[in-house]
Amino acid sequence: MLKGFGNFLVKELKELVRDPKILLGMIILPLVMFPILGAIMNYAMQSEKEKAEKAMWLVVNNDGGNWSNLFISFLNYSAKVSVENKITITDDVASDLLKKYNTTQFIEIPSGFSANITEHTGGNSNVTASVNFYGVFSSAGMFESVGGSSLIDAFVYQFNRYWAPDVVDAEKSSIIKGKIQTGVDPSLLSRLMISQAIAMPITIMMLLTYSIQIAATSVAMEKEEKTLETLLTLPMDRLAILMGKLSGSIIVASVSALAYMFGFNYYMSSLTSTIPASTSIDLVSLGLVPSLFGYLLQGVSLFITLLSGLALAVIISAFAEDVKSAQSIVGYTYPFIFIPSFLLMYLDVNALPFALKIFIYAIPYSHPIIASKAVVMGDYLTAIMGILYVTTFTLVFLYLASRLFATEKILTAKLKFKGLRKREKTLTKEL
Amino acid sequence: MSTAIEATDLVKVFGNIHALDGLSFTVKTGEIFGLIGPNGAGKTTALRVISTLLLPTSGTVKTFCLDVVSDAAEVRKIITYLPEEAGAYRNLSGWEYLEFMAKFNTKDKEETREMVREAAEITGLGERLKDKTKTYSKGMKRRLLVARALMNKPKLAILDEPTSGLDVLHAYHVREIIKRYVSEHSVTVLLSSHNMLEVEHLCDRVALLNKGKIVAEGKPQQLKEKFGSANLEEVFAKVVGFA
Repeated sequence: MLKGFGNFLVKELKELVRDPKILLGMIILPLVMFPILGAIMNYAMQSEKEKAEKAMWLVVNNDGGNWSNLFISFLNYSAKVSVENKITITDDVASDLLKKYNTTQFIEIPSGFSANITEHTGGNSNVTASVNFYGVFSSAGMFESVGGSSLIDAFVYQFNRYWAPDVVDAEKSSIIKGKIQTGVDPSLLSRLMISQAIAMPITIMMLLTYSIQIAATSVAMEKEEKTLETLLTLPMDRLAILMGKLSGSIIVASVSALAYMFGFNYYMSSLTSTIPASTSIDLVSLGLVPSLFGYLLQGVSLFITLLSGLALAVIISAFAEDVKSAQSIVGYTYPFIFIPSFLLMYLDVNALPFALKIFIYAIPYSHPIIASKAVVMGDYLTAIMGILYVTTFTLVFLYLASRLFATEKILTAKLKFKGLRKREKTLTKEL
Repeated sequence: MSTAIEATDLVKVFGNIHALDGLSFTVKTGEIFGLIGPNGAGKTTALRVISTLLLPTSGTVKTFCLDVVSDAAEVRKIITYLPEEAGAYRNLSGWEYLEFMAKFNTKDKEETREMVREAAEITGLGERLKDKTKTYSKGMKRRLLVARALMNKPKLAILDEPTSGLDVLHAYHVREIIKRYVSEHSVTVLLSSHNMLEVEHLCDRVALLNKGKIVAEGKPQQLKEKFGSANLEEVFAKVVGFA
């Protein structure tokens, strides 16, 4: 056991929790950040809807009657339509069709469609017809499903308005991992998954930036407040100081992340309030929730990355003379957290251009987000490879940090923030 | 009387600056030994090497027969170090700060309590110990830190400019604390100061440092007699050729 670790950790937590700057960051930042995020999301949904309006619609006509032709003409009036006739929809057939037309959604007009409408318009209002909407659900491009699904609703609404109220309704199904999940609206599924897909990068982003900031502050504070020298002469393991700093930062950052998630969930719940209360989608049965092993990989990936970020922050801040400089210097690491977080929120890493893909994979902070998406799709290898990659970084940073604390470098290494020029240690006062 | 500190040919180089340039001296157990000299003489560097913060470029220092480089962890168990510009944790109360520091010396709760109680008495801060240290004046903070450095009755207390920046009353209080504690608990004290008049009244023996070297060493009275000076300030001026 590291001598003095427990005592030091308690001190660290007291100091951090009582720091008004940290509390301020926990409250003020979410208030600014969440409205911005909301605006980005609304913009993304709107643009996907506009894209869906211009997209080609594939219609599988298994009815062949007059009403189905009328329905297709109706669609054709406002969108570009391709038609396939008499195809029984199975998982494989659906995949082939989507590939053939390079699309992510199609409409099936089932047999009996015309007969039902004829009966309905003949006076039997209990009989109605339906069209089936199939949308591919993937973790990438989730907004597409929202656009297509809401557009078919609009078509059906207009058709009914023109011919007879409530004569046709749209039954929606999702194609998940190549399998048709009947009755699962891809739009609702998307909204649920968006909240998860965005929640994870946001949490990771917040957790990393907060921890790095906290660790940097706490190390630099020891220098600024002139407590480090005393600390280094106490009968405690030098490694306990490092581990205390890291653990304190992780604990406080986790509490902070919880506060963020609380605010974020509150925001998301207001965003998804349009989903009918009666709708229930079981993500587990759809295979869209990671397995226990998946969760484990996700957790390990996050923890290792966090440790790597913290060790780096400790190293960087050890060179700073005061808190302000430390915070400024660690600020240089933030683009490497923000870029992958925002990018992977909306895009699939494999869909990126090669150079950008390599860049994203090279950043250690991308990997918890990549892992969180990969484990949902059952791709454990990607998560494991990421963990191994980040572990290498972490071990190197931890080793460097421990060396730094074990030697006099922790006291003598100094960088001047302006231009990061190495400061000459010639101040006679210090001699 | 046994030897508390034995520094031999101590050299510390920073870049092209020789902060210590062959420093040698010994301190006997139970005495108050002062390293005095102007800013930049190498006093702080010497104290930092002895307190295991810096590694000497060459030379050796032994503290109660323990080498400050190879036995650094053991040395830290028997010393306390008070840096010149030391601070306390601003978000802890004075009481919490003392408790935090005491727990590094003992795991026994009763001993911790006793240590803190004694330190509280040394500080003379009374009820103010319950306040966060960020509300303390410089003098109050220094008293707290001196108490911290002495509360566990170390074998060797290394105090860098213990009264630095304090007004007359606070400086007097701190000096009294050190004197009383040494006589009551046989603590050896190595201190540095550029205030030679103060050192004259506090130290049993002194070493005058200039440019990383000892230029004179002995009891204050002996040095004054040897150089025919009224005080150590004059002695120093004569030794370095100012007077």
